[in-house]
Amino acid sequence: MNASLKIAVALLISLEISFTKSISLNIALIVCAIIYLLFKQVNWKLMLYSIFLPILPAFGSWSSLYFYGTGDHVHMAFVLFTRIFAYIWIGSCFTFTTNIDELLKSLEQNFRLPNTFVYGVLAAFNFLPRIAQEVKTIRLAARMRGEVLHFYSPQIFFKAILTSFNWSNNLAQAMRSHGFAEGERRTHYHVIKIPTWNWLAAAAILIAVQAFLFMSPFN
Amino acid sequence: MSVLTTHNLSVAYQEDATPIIADVNLTIDAGTFNLLIGPSGSGKSTLLKSLAGLYPEFGGYLTGDIRLQGQNINDLTIIERVKKVALLFQNPSEQFAMTTPFDELVFTLENLQTPPAEIENRALAALEFVGISNFKHQNIQTLSGGEAQKVALAICLAMDSDIILLDEPFASVDPTARLELLEKLQQLQQAGRTIIISDHDLAGYADIITKMYTIEGTNLVQVTDPTSYFAKFTPTPATFQPVTTASVFELNQLSFKTGTRTLLQAISLPIAQEKFTLITGPNGVGKSTFFTALTRLKAYDGQISYLGTDIQKIKLPKYVREVALVFQHAEQQYLKMTVMDEIELSLKHALHPDLWTTAKIDATLDQLNMATLKEHVVYQLSGGQKKKLQILLMLIIGTPVLLFDEPLAGLDLASVQTIFALLTTTAAAQKQTILMISHQLSGVTQYFDHHLIFDNQTLTYEVH
Repeated sequence: MNASLKIAVALLISLEISFTKSISLNIALIVCAIIYLLFKQVNWKLMLYSIFLPILPAFGSWSSLYFYGTGDHVHMAFVLFTRIFAYIWIGSCFTFTTNIDELLKSLEQNFRLPNTFVYGVLAAFNFLPRIAQEVKTIRLAARMRGEVLHFYSPQIFFKAILTSFNWSNNLAQAMRSHGFAEGERRTHYHVIKIPTWNWLAAAAILIAVQAFLFMSPFN
Repeated sequence: MSVLTTHNLSVAYQEDATPIIADVNLTIDAGTFNLLIGPSGSGKSTLLKSLAGLYPEFGGYLTGDIRLQGQNINDLTIIERVKKVALLFQNPSEQFAMTTPFDELVFTLENLQTPPAEIENRALAALEFVGISNFKHQNIQTLSGGEAQKVALAICLAMDSDIILLDEPFASVDPTARLELLEKLQQLQQAGRTIIISDHDLAGYADIITKMYTIEGTNLVQVTDPTSYFAKFTPTPATFQPVTTASVFELNQLSFKTGTRTLLQAISLPIAQEKFTLITGPNGVGKSTFFTALTRLKAYDGQISYLGTDIQKIKLPKYVREVALVFQHAEQQYLKMTVMDEIELSLKHALHPDLWTTAKIDATLDQLNMATLKEHVVYQLSGGQKKKLQILLMLIIGTPVLLFDEPLAGLDLASVQTIFALLTTTAAAQKQTILMISHQLSGVTQYFDHHLIFDNQTLTYEVH
């Protein structure tokens, strides 16, 4: 499915379950998400990550309501517990099957996001690995001068910020000299079109969620 | 016919500051090859960035005007401008926004509103011309300096710019790749493009340039007798000795690779103590990796011993006090704000503090033409000054072995001579061993005792 539509559907469902109290809907969403990810043959290590990462926050929310809550607190404890897993797995459906490139380019072409934002973010993502490398180099260079810098030393942050500042300025100049102009019309080598079935699928998913919510015998 | 003219062009960093270059009246004819020389920090980059239209947008305060084919540069849109004039930057790794050469070309052509159907063909043709079609989908950060500059040139070509400006494009490019690039530039010029290039190393230009300019003080002047300049860059015959004296390092069946690619096949050889050893070889062959092995930053096979002890058996904090690396980019070595702060930090860890009295520091700064810059912020120094300071800082620490990775890139001949004068006297006084990787050989070979050539996965001493 188109990246922009996929993130829109994921956000809408997440927003909706923030206000509903249906444990069964949360579980149904988690199961659907797992089936989708298995179908997409996502790396099992990433899937394990999505199982273990939410345990602590989910358990924390559950226990604070279960033990210290008032009113319908036992039900709400399980709603919160399943809700956190649902958030993570719905998010996983998006992040594990889409890359930032597809999303930004689709937002640019299909939803008219300003090109400065699109290419600024893209360039920043391309720079991330270099920043990690730069921090290593800074520590090494310091050691060669007889100074030991720890990961919490302010000098590392100072130097890393300075370097990024310098890079961002150079990058802006490089983009400008490659003809990039703010707000100017651009052509597209890969034209991204959203096929009709994408819209239909998105609508079907959202309707199915409502139907489940209102018609399911479980809450 | 002139393609580029300037009228009383002056550029300053601020509105009321003294200009870096003043009253430039330049007329560049179509289809010419122009070389711009001048000392480090004299304003060559500033001039080229102004001509490319990047200043005043990204700094600098301009007066006077610049005309491209008769049109004032300020009246052109960005797209119209880059189709007339393109700029290739000095640092190859900082001029791309995308991850692969092909993506960067597509990005550029999309910016220029090229019809989608033409994009692929134009991108591929440009890559083909500079001879890097094989790397089109490789990550740009993994390309060598020479390859990255070829990508940058391919982009200028795809943009179809009439004028190509190049700001010291060969600072991190090996001599072979440099000649290939110069040849491509000449072909482009013969096909009608106009080239303006700035460089410190004049080797290879004698037969191809139309005009040569230099910056004297704040003025741009045409050089009327280029021959006298070229004479300084004819290679001086050097003599290199075999290693017969005591060694500081012994390589024993040393080999290393990057990923799955073998860089060095098992080799055993000595490196002479208290001598100057020069290391040369093409871009990407593994010279910097060799230094990372010597400093224990990278795993290798075989053994390296330092003064008879396997370097893996020496504790790291002790070893870094023996063997230190001088980085390729000077700024990476800085930790403080001002020149004097940096010097004081180095003095704190100096191994020969008696040699570095206040008077000696002052005299050395004077020798480096930096006596007035003591309270200056290090990041605001010019490229050449940064390099000189970095080398001084590492010399003050005085480790017995100093490894220099491309310390001469971007330095003019006068600065190179100053640095070597300092290096030879200090190294003798502190009994230091110097290993240096360098592409630039003009005027420096006489300082070295030994020459290691790194090529075809092996290291060999050149003796003659």
